[in-house]
Amino acid sequence: MTNFMIKTIFSTFMILLSVNSFSHHAFTAEFDANAPVNLTGKVLKVEWINPHAWVHMEVEEEGKKTTWMVEGGTPNTLIRNGITKQSIKPGTVIVVRGYQSKGKLCLPRCIANGRDVTFPDGRKVFMGSSGTGAPRDGADPRERR
Amino acid sequence: MQNKLFIFIVFIFSLATYAEEFTVQKTWFGDPDLQGVWTNASLTTLERPDHFETLEISDEVAAYAKNVNQETVENIDNPYEDGETPESGGDVGGYNVAWMDPGSDFMRLNGKYRSSIITYPENGKLPRRLTRWAIEGPSIYRMFTSADHPEERSLGERCIVGFGSSGGPPMLNVLYNNHYQIVQSPGYVMIMVEMNHDARIIRIDSEHNPDEMKPWLGDSIGRWEGNTLVVKTKNHHPQQKFRAAIRHQILMMEGAEVTERFTRTSENEILYEFEVNDKKAYRDVWKGEMPLRATEDKIYEYACHEGNYAMANILAGARAEESK
Repeated sequence: MTNFMIKTIFSTFMILLSVNSFSHHAFTAEFDANAPVNLTGKVLKVEWINPHAWVHMEVEEEGKKTTWMVEGGTPNTLIRNGITKQSIKPGTVIVVRGYQSKGKLCLPRCIANGRDVTFPDGRKVFMGSSGTGAPRDGADPRERR
Repeated sequence: MQNKLFIFIVFIFSLATYAEEFTVQKTWFGDPDLQGVWTNASLTTLERPDHFETLEISDEVAAYAKNVNQETVENIDNPYEDGETPESGGDVGGYNVAWMDPGSDFMRLNGKYRSSIITYPENGKLPRRLTRWAIEGPSIYRMFTSADHPEERSLGERCIVGFGSSGGPPMLNVLYNNHYQIVQSPGYVMIMVEMNHDARIIRIDSEHNPDEMKPWLGDSIGRWEGNTLVVKTKNHHPQQKFRAAIRHQILMMEGAEVTERFTRTSENEILYEFEVNDKKAYRDVWKGEMPLRATEDKIYEYACHEGNYAMANILAGARAEESK
């Protein structure tokens, strides 16, 4: 096998993997790239659980109500940044843009990822208490008080 | 007179240096105290990106790279115009950047910014044996694409261990959950990894277990060299041979040995050094170092299995694909 071929195989392999190694799990295995969603509705509850938090919301379209579960990230970061269970209260209206799951039975709820979660006026729902959304990494000495 | 003045100045400087030298606290059983919650979150990656030429980078270069990173993050987080629906056939992506915690700055050692964790080879790149990576490729690829049953999926998705080499060894930074808690007791050092709450139990002044025993995070034994904890790990679990994250992809084949050194250099920092010796996957040993910084952040419950809805969704997605 020539060095060029080995490098080509290696590069292709790494590109394929990079899509799948983004996070705790492969979003491409769970969500359908051909099923984008743009949902507006009221928050029913938020499950602050690992490995990923889930926002439950009720979406009303043409008089029909549908419950959606929207996948977020690991809650540890947001909790450390001051977001609490009280920060996103049931009844709050949010806008979720992302993709629906490949399985579309919607039993008992439809599923989507929250690639972009905002309030209706465009403000981000998930922000740190500092308002910057900046991660904490200990580089700032003020982090150790 | 001048000589006396010179000696006096040297004496005063020596006293000042001595006063600033960090004295490592000891545990009640006499070992150097490494205990606490630490983080290795940083923008510095395992391998040196091509746009950096040297291990140490200037404050200006680091500041520029940090700004570029921030702009990239902003673009990832605002992919759509107002009211726009995501593109069909697009990248499903993940979630808002706020959920991530990759660090906000490049790591610094001895006051200098670093462009890579790897210090050897000097080019900051893994000395991969590409033939080995090509040979392992198909089986690894299946791990990320097959979905007949949960056991076919990756260890991270199954909540067995954290993804990438977060739990190590070597313990490498990932996109979030970059905290570690060290607890010591007589004869043991425990490192709890935030990601998945994996616990590394390091036996002090002990022998390795029989080679048949291959724990998820390898078999680690330690000894003290002065104030430095030296940890040797072998018998890595075969299913841990490939560890993938955005920031690193490493192979750890059967027979690989990792040596780590933990030295508390100040109240707020541990110098973490490691050396990987894996002749099957690499042409040479590779070495790295990073600071573990103290933090008063808390590590919260993980409970990965209980909330792992994603696994069911992935399997359901595979069934939906099959039915088309």
